[in-house]
Amino acid sequence: MTRRTSVVDYSRVINVSLSSIFHIGDSVQVTPVAWAIAVQRQLQLFYGDEGNFLQFPMFTMELPQPTIQEPITVNRYNASSFIKVNRIHVTSVAAGSVHQIGSTNYINSESRIKHIRQFHRDPNME
Amino acid sequence: MNFTVVNHNISVGNIDVGGVSSASIFLVGDTDTIILSCVFDTPPESLIIGPFVPLAPE
Repeated sequence: MTRRTSVVDYSRVINVSLSSIFHIGDSVQVTPVAWAIAVQRQLQLFYGDEGNFLQFPMFTMELPQPTIQEPITVNRYNASSFIKVNRIHVTSVAAGSVHQIGSTNYINSESRIKHIRQFHRDPNME
Repeated sequence: MNFTVVNHNISVGNIDVGGVSSASIFLVGDTDTIILSCVFDTPPESLIIGPFVPLAPE
């Protein structure tokens, strides 16, 4: 499979977090995974061992994967063997994401998150 | 299935991306297979009002 060469003159990335990838160059396979739960609590209480992913079905349910029923032949003709970008500015790459300058064969990324907010008193009553 | 792609010249000036987040990709290059999954989920149980009950331990 003919892969083109990526040519980038200037690239600026400010933040890469939560099992994300900023990759310059080619790769074969990229599979980032990030789960998270994220609790916002009105009082400052930290128990240190909270958060059980098995408790929430969204973290254990099966994710849909593409089902390919027939052989696929891809014929790719590249008039130019370069992909040129002058300047790239990325503020943030987060939560199982990928920013790659270069080619790859397979990418399968997963992120689940959740967000829970705990109030001591009803915020609408204040 | 036969799939033919003819790529001509590609040259981009400036790209400014605010955020690449939640199982997303920003690829400057070629690839064959891309599978992206993200399950966000903030149902009613995500807003708890009342005495604190710690989450289940790890």
